[in-house]
Amino acid sequence: MSQSQPTAPSHPVGDAGPATARGWWHGRSGLFLAAFMAAFSTYLLVGVLTMAVPDGADAPGPQFVPLIIAVAGYILAALLAVHYIRTPEPAVTPTFTAEDDATDEERRAAEAAATVQYRTFSDWYAVGWSVAGFLAFALLLNVLGWILGAALLFWCVAHGIGSRRHLFDASLGLLLSSFIYLAFDVGLGLSLPSGLLGGVF
Amino acid sequence: MESIMNLMDGFGSALSPMNLLWVIVGCLLGTAVGVLPGLGSSMAVALLLPMTFALDPTGAFIMFAGVYFGGLFGDSTMAILMNTPGQASAIASTFEGHRMAKAGRAPQALATAAIGAFIGGMIGSIVVVFLAPALADFSANFGPQEFFALALFAFVATSSVVADSILKGLCSLIIGLGIAVVGIDQTSGAERFSFGVPQLFDGISLVTVTVAILALGEVFHIASRVRRDPTNRVIQAKGRPFLSGREFREALPAWLRGTGIGLPFGVIPAGGADVPTFVAYGLERQLDRRRRKPQFGKGAIRGLAAPEAAGNATTGTAMGALLSLGLPISATAAIMLAAFEQYGLQPGPLMFDRSPDLVWALLASFFIAMIVLLILNLPFAPLWAKLLAIPRPYLYAGITVFCGMGVYATSGSTFDLLMLLGIGLLGFALRRFGVPLAPLMIGMVLGPLFETSMRDALASSNQSYGVFVDGPIPVAIYTLLALSLVISIVGRVRSTARKDT
Repeated sequence: MSQSQPTAPSHPVGDAGPATARGWWHGRSGLFLAAFMAAFSTYLLVGVLTMAVPDGADAPGPQFVPLIIAVAGYILAALLAVHYIRTPEPAVTPTFTAEDDATDEERRAAEAAATVQYRTFSDWYAVGWSVAGFLAFALLLNVLGWILGAALLFWCVAHGIGSRRHLFDASLGLLLSSFIYLAFDVGLGLSLPSGLLGGVF
Repeated sequence: MESIMNLMDGFGSALSPMNLLWVIVGCLLGTAVGVLPGLGSSMAVALLLPMTFALDPTGAFIMFAGVYFGGLFGDSTMAILMNTPGQASAIASTFEGHRMAKAGRAPQALATAAIGAFIGGMIGSIVVVFLAPALADFSANFGPQEFFALALFAFVATSSVVADSILKGLCSLIIGLGIAVVGIDQTSGAERFSFGVPQLFDGISLVTVTVAILALGEVFHIASRVRRDPTNRVIQAKGRPFLSGREFREALPAWLRGTGIGLPFGVIPAGGADVPTFVAYGLERQLDRRRRKPQFGKGAIRGLAAPEAAGNATTGTAMGALLSLGLPISATAAIMLAAFEQYGLQPGPLMFDRSPDLVWALLASFFIAMIVLLILNLPFAPLWAKLLAIPRPYLYAGITVFCGMGVYATSGSTFDLLMLLGIGLLGFALRRFGVPLAPLMIGMVLGPLFETSMRDALASSNQSYGVFVDGPIPVAIYTLLALSLVISIVGRVRSTARKDT
């Protein structure tokens, strides 16, 4: 998959500092992954233990493979936890490598921007708006209908990623959602809910 | 010769006006998504998966083929012009390709990539036409232990051989396998992991997981970084968009060598085109060092030609492996397999007997897609780069809307939309911590095959575990697996030892 980007920083600019100076959790957010693996394995394990197996099922039964998966999941969770506790991620700041195509001016601007310390690696404002927008879309879709619901989703994500032209975004979202409704619902026959606007037309 | 007759029939079906239209639409969509920043060919196929249900199977798969190959062409355009590979298989093209573009030879670099992809894809498709029916015949008498060995090979290869971190690769695989066991067990009828929720009785929909992991999670990941990471500049491609005779003769051996390297990787479940592109690049660099005037580092045309040809040759033969064995070797191929299953078709040995019309029309459409893509990309590659003018917020907002539409249109339920959001957040977390996503997709798609073949093999042999190494084919597969593990470990040690250039 595309997780490996070729632009590894050649000379990090922002001072990462020792992990202790920035709190024990800094660089160890990967423990979430270990916690997730443990939780997922627990879900499988509870499922295996409470499963009602019909009589006469050939051995190995329906519990066999899930049990292996759950055990493997617990082992991986433990290994991940050890990995992140012993070697926290270094604070990586975005910089240009010598390979990148950039003028000196751009390079300086980027390096100046890179020294700004964000408290978190991820831009939670952008993610928050995108996720909240999607949640609202999922819950309100049948009430609002496709055209309004999808336009709302579009607006939230665009706003989160940094667009500040509120009215323009809203009209663009409506344009896109109406276009999709016409092309896929009316044209190709997929069923999208008409919702509120269904009564009007 | 029977293959040629069948292929001619396939062309007859693929060249019907409607199917030709789907090829062209697929090529256009695939190239467009591949060109867009941060989006690769697997996202193109994931976004398209739900929409194809409005089409008949032949039209849908012909369009898929266009999208699949188109995404690869688009990925390399951006790798060359912007140094941002949309997919790991395009990384090897960035090295010399982007240097060529910086040296003012962007149009020639694009032409080298397009012709290389064309040659690799064409030869790959020809090999598939002759090899796939034979492979299907060979695998027709595969029993459960053979399929178990194949599935195990795919799991180990994608999660350990290819992944950067074996630990993270295995995590991804386990999550995929875990998702696959939810729902009513097909062998015994036991209700598994649904905890009484009726929406889970049929399991978690492949469409939902695919869109969530490869599209929605990707959007969240981009949103989390888009305002913080510096963006690369696009190099304008101006000048003659074709190669001089000398350049062509320079690139030709590299194209052919790259194709030769790429072909066998399509049938080895080693994660798709990432490995062969790097192998082809490495070989060209070795050869270059022995020449009187080494070109590498200054924009060597061969350093771009070989990985492009290798990538598409692998993609071509990978479709052959998918059709004849039912074995997906990359995330994109796993999505195609999921799509076949949605239509009630089972790729594998019986596919060539049961639905020959579809298979041969699909194979014929590969050739058509290659020609269409060469036309679309050779003169017009710089035009595609204009897509970058779309402001980022609108681009990703639009993709989110398409994710929601795709899943709602196939399931029609709020539950699936919430599931999409939840798994999308999981996909975001995996991307954030550098966990590869291909093992998850392959684990989920092959999980049921893995489990049923294991249980069938054990049930038929009275719980004797010796059944798994009974017969020459499973033993051969396990030997090959051990061999590829050794090669990958040696390769890793070597690549750390030669980080000199």
